[in-house]
Order: sequence, then structure tokens, then C-alpha cells
Amino acid sequence: MPPIDCEDQELLEGFLAETTELLEKLDDDLIALEKASDDTELMNRIFRSIHTIKGASSFLGFDLLVKVAHKTEDVLNRLRKGELVVNSEIMDVILEATDLVKLLVSDIKAGEIQERETEDTISKLLPFLSESATAAQAASASVAVAPEGDGVAQPISSEQASAAPAASSAPIQAVTSVPPQKTGGEVVPKKAAPPPKSTDGKGEDLSDNTTVRVDVKRLDDLMNQVGELVLERNRMIQINQNLQQGDVNKDDFNEEFSKLTKRMNFVTSELQMQVLKMRMLPVEKVFKKFPRIVRSMARDLGKEVNLQIFGEETELDRSVVDEIGDPLIHLIRNAMDHGLETPDERVAAGKSRVGTLILAAVHEGNQIIISIKDDGNGIDTDRVGRKAVEKGLLTEEQLAAMSQREMFDLIFLPGFSTKEKATDLSGRGVGMDVVKTNIKKLNGLIEIKSERGQGSEFILRLPLTLAIIQSLLVEVEGEVYSIPLSSVLETLRVDQRQFHLIGGQEVLKLRDMVLPLLRLQKIFNVQQRYDKDDFCYVVVVGAADKRMGLVVTRLVGQQEVAIKSLGSYLANIPGIAGSTILGDGQVALIVDPVGLIDSVEGNSGR
Amino acid sequence: MNNALVPVNADESRSELIQLVSFNLDQEEYGVDVLKVREIIRMPTVTRVPNTPHYVDGVINLRGKVIPIISMRKKFGLMEADNDKQTRIMVMDVDGELMGFIVDAVSEVIRISGSEIQPSPAVVASAIDQECIAGVINQAERLLVLLDLEKMFSLDERKGFVSL
Repeated sequence: MPPIDCEDQELLEGFLAETTELLEKLDDDLIALEKASDDTELMNRIFRSIHTIKGASSFLGFDLLVKVAHKTEDVLNRLRKGELVVNSEIMDVILEATDLVKLLVSDIKAGEIQERETEDTISKLLPFLSESATAAQAASASVAVAPEGDGVAQPISSEQASAAPAASSAPIQAVTSVPPQKTGGEVVPKKAAPPPKSTDGKGEDLSDNTTVRVDVKRLDDLMNQVGELVLERNRMIQINQNLQQGDVNKDDFNEEFSKLTKRMNFVTSELQMQVLKMRMLPVEKVFKKFPRIVRSMARDLGKEVNLQIFGEETELDRSVVDEIGDPLIHLIRNAMDHGLETPDERVAAGKSRVGTLILAAVHEGNQIIISIKDDGNGIDTDRVGRKAVEKGLLTEEQLAAMSQREMFDLIFLPGFSTKEKATDLSGRGVGMDVVKTNIKKLNGLIEIKSERGQGSEFILRLPLTLAIIQSLLVEVEGEVYSIPLSSVLETLRVDQRQFHLIGGQEVLKLRDMVLPLLRLQKIFNVQQRYDKDDFCYVVVVGAADKRMGLVVTRLVGQQEVAIKSLGSYLANIPGIAGSTILGDGQVALIVDPVGLIDSVEGNSGR
Repeated sequence: MNNALVPVNADESRSELIQLVSFNLDQEEYGVDVLKVREIIRMPTVTRVPNTPHYVDGVINLRGKVIPIISMRKKFGLMEADNDKQTRIMVMDVDGELMGFIVDAVSEVIRISGSEIQPSPAVVASAIDQECIAGVINQAERLLVLLDLEKMFSLDERKGFVSL
């Protein structure tokens, strides 16, 4: 077994932190799954976690870990597809496998990889992968009684013993699993040793996400700003005193006070920026692991790639940084595997042998834009459409009615893949689902640009921070709501007579697009206050790859607002993401465009 | 603070003095443990929150914190009444979360000894959930219903106020 030959210690730390976090959640999720085996959301989440662990360990070269994770993933995949049914036996084996993964990870954490018995656990997973898996389930159940006769390994565990006979019922794997069984008496004690260790591993989790390292200079700047704020406060007290004593004339007071207001405004916004900056990290932290991934993937795939990275100094909130790693890996993997062609294909197509992959980050207003661009094949919409129909994700009629953009969106469907066979790299149809889920969580948008033969570009638009947002204040029959500006694409003033009705759904023709409309008044049950007016405003919002128009009475304006939680009792109101306090002290609710879009989709799907 | 609950089965704390804030609701007088009450404020402007149970009036800004406002009358299924000068919001600590309750009027803080708390009579038809009545206090002239806020909301409600 090779020692850890990791070039970059930080890379390794990142991997460990991420994996530890995933594993932590995995345990809970798996237990929950056993109780609610028909929860597909949960199933997908578990699957994604294992998938991510596998992907990360594969590029770091932890072969043992990859092997275990891969087989576990295979079993989970069958569960997900409904080819197997969740029962306690499968869960036992999966949990054992996750324990093994934990053990291996804690080995890596400890700094030395030890020789571990993985064949045993893997051989337990294998029966569930054979074609006659249901038979294997039955077999292992019936054999569970048998070892008592043997008189071997009785005290240890009947399930361990049962695995081998089950495996021999699946002939292909019999070879690997039989040898340990033959020496059962000696091997068993060794095997019994790991589990307690792995529980130790669970305890000493390294999660240092709660502390922040801040540049001393920034701290000094902050202190200066606070000093100024104190000055302004004193000034305010002074002005108030003068006013109380009545020895000021109105003009003087007006002038003084307006000056003070301006300075206060300036100081507080500076202060806000400073604090925000402390939470900022350069996107480099995520980007720097990509060259390695790209290199090793290029080698595996036999492709030649030139990776160019721009704007790695762009800063964004740490909460965002933590979340974009996964989606970016999947997008890069996607570009490498599906986008770029092999050198020979490229030459045949009249392009240079070496493909180009551009990863760029840039600030734009209150957003950060990350783009992953390749000069490969582009998205073959015909093939994508065909595959989607083949996989039963949509019908021929649905496909025929689709626009180019909707075709692109198909690749985000869970379970979608154009690959015939799943490999270490891709093909399970999880990756893009991860992308979509994470970006949605961050209130971001994904845009796809692609041209056949020219390449494709995935553009992620993410908010800079999650605590203070730019928002568009709108009025709905007298009530003020705030819509995150990051989701707002445009606003229009429209005559309601231009609305069309398709299957009970109001829509608006907007250039080449048919925009579904949602009346905030209706979904928020706002009482009608004004006389019916022909004109209203439509706020076009987008979440990930979907667009929708929100119908409101009036636009109030743009404002930077601090997000306030509504508390646990009101946390799950559909369509409401939170609240904020306006300048006049009133509470305004923040609309959740993502949730609204989902709910509309859900309704139309039913 | 959580331990300072009104003793429901007040065996060992029979003689202990308890302080209650008493308030009025539709002619009746109620009491809650003073330690649960954070503050009592006048009616501010309440922002309505859509798709919530009928008894959630909305949310208010309590010095930078957004807290939900519950109408006690609506929660207990009493007749609705207009807000007047006496109407108050009692900001209370329910299971670690601040929440405002609209009551008709807040009268006073009273001291009673634990022995004065009687189990509530098994009323057949009562609008108020028997669950959240911790007992009644029968003092010479007055009858006080003692509320247990922690039991005010059902398990489902505690998971989130969402009306479907």
C-alpha cells in the first residue's frame, strides 16, 4: 500500500473536511432511509454523497476508498432504480461499507494508509449487484441460519458468515470471496477489530468551519470604521441636545442633520462592506484543485486539454465558496468527458489537437459569475432528447414541443445520462443534478450556451453573500414584498389583456419565450384593495434554468436588505424565504422565487 | 429558565410562591408564568404572512428581530374583537423562541402559592385546548386560568405554521 503521496496538503485537508462532513450526514440519512425507503429525495441525497466521496478520492488516488465507494454506489444505484428493495440486510451491508469508508478516511486523516481488509465488505456488496439480486437476498436470508452448524465464527456475526455463501450463489464473485471464508477461524478476529476503530473515527471529526481567519489589516480597517461611527453618534447626541435646549434655528438644524445623515450613511455602508469582506474568500480556494483534476482526467480519458483559469482572485462569501466546489467539479467533469473530443476527433473536425477549457470568475454588480467553457462538441440536443425519451424521463410528444433551451435543461434531470455505461468518471446522471441542487440552494442561476461543434459554456450566476441581499421591493395590493434581485431578470409594465390562458395557466408572450405567470395576489391571498387596473407589472424571475413572471401591482424600488429569519415556526411557508425590516421599521416578507417556480412546476406536473 | 415552569403537578412545590402575569381575554382572566414573559408592548403594525393558520396574525419588528404574532382569541376560538387602547402584545418565550400573543388587556403580576393551583375541571365543551391549561386558581373573587405555553401548540404546529 503506497503512503499518502499527496502533493498539496491543502488539497488533502479540503478533501478530508468535505468527506467527513458528508459521512457525518450519510449515517443519519441511511438510518432515515431504512425507515422511509420510498423517499426518493433522501435516496438521491445519499447517492450524491457517496458519489462525491468517490469522485474526490479517485482524483487523489485513494484506490482502496474508491473501490469501496464505487461498489457501495452501485448497490445504492440499484436501490434508487428500484431494482432492489431496501431491507435491513442491504442496509447492514451498506452501513458496514460506510463504516469501512470512514475507517479508510480516518486512516488518511491520521497520515498513514494501512492495509485494510476490504474484500470482505466488498464481497458482501457484490451479491446485490448480480442480476439475480433478489435471489441473493433470499439466499443470504436463508443461509443466515447455516453457520450454526459449522461451529465457526458463531459469536462474531451471522451476517458476515452469510455473505460468502450468498456470494457463491452468484458464481462470478465466488473466487474472491471464498478464500477468506476458508480460513474463517483465523480471519474473523481480524475482521472484528476494525468496527470499534471506525467509531473512534466518527468522534474526532475535524470541522473548523466555525472559525474565520481574518487579515489583520482588515480588522484595523474595521476598527477605524467603528471609530468613525462612534464619532457620528456623538455628533448626533450633540445635535439632539441642541435641539432639546431649543437654541437652534430650523435652517441650521436642517443643514446639520442632513450632513450627519449623509455621513452616517457613508460610514454604515463602509462598515457593512468591511464586515462583508471579512467573510469573503478568494474563489482561488476552490479553483486551485481543478488543474489536478483536469490533468488526471485528461490522462484517464486520453484527451489533451489546456486549462485556463481567470479571475481566481475574485472574492465571494465563504458560505458560497463552501457550496460551489461540488457543482464546479461536476461541470468540469462534464466538460471533459462529454464536451471535449479526443485529439484524433478534434483533428478530423479541423480543430487543434489540444482542447481548451476555460474557467473564469468575475464580479458583476452584486453577483459573481463563474463560467466553464470548452471548445468541444457542444451539446447534441438530438441525442439528449433521444436519451431522455429512452430513459422514460419524458414522452415523444413532450420532446417534440421542446425549445432548444428546454433541451439543454434536460441534462439537469436526475438520472439523466447519455453514457451507456457508468464509469469511474461519469455516466450515472448524478453530476448535473448535484449542480442544479447546489446552485438552487445558493439562489443562483445556471445558463447554458452551446453550439454544435463549437463548444459549450455553463454560466453560473451566484449572489456574493447570503446575509445581505439586493432586493426589488414590489407592492401587491398595498402589501410590500421583497424579491431577491439576484433572481430578477427584468421587469415589464404590461396590459393584462395581453395575457393568454393555456390550460388554466396564465402566460405572457415575451419575445421568443412563453412565460408562465403567477399572481402574487392570488398565492399570497392578498385582499384586493384597488380597483381593477388593466396595467400591472410583471417581474421576470429565474431560478437555475427556469423562468417565470410574477404579477404585482406596483414596483417600489431597489433596496439592499438584511435577511431576518422568521423563526422555526414560520420557517416553512411556501413561497416565503424570510423577512426583512424596511426603512420605516415595517417588516416585509422576502419572496422565494425558487420555491414559487418549483410549486408551479409541481402543480403542472400533477 | 426552562426549569422555572409553573408546577403542573405541584406536589413538592405546594408552598412555593409563583408569580403570574394575568391578562384578560373575552371576560375571562388568564395567567402565565412571569418568567416566560419577556415584555408587554402596544399593538404595532403587523405584517400579514400568507398561507399560515388563521390565528397567526403576522409578524412584527421587535427591535430588529422579526417575531410571529398570534391572536389568542383566534387560537382559542373566541369571538374576534377590534383592537382598542387596552390591547397588548405579550412577548413570550415559547420553547426557546420569542412569540407575541395579542390579548385584550394585561392587568397585573400576582403572587400565589403553588397550593392554590387546582387541576382544571374536565370541561366538556371548551374552545380552549385542555392540553395547555395547567390548572385554575380559585381566589376569593377571581378565577384565573393558568396556561402552559409549551403545550399551546400541537406537535404539527411546532414543526411549522403552515396551512394547507
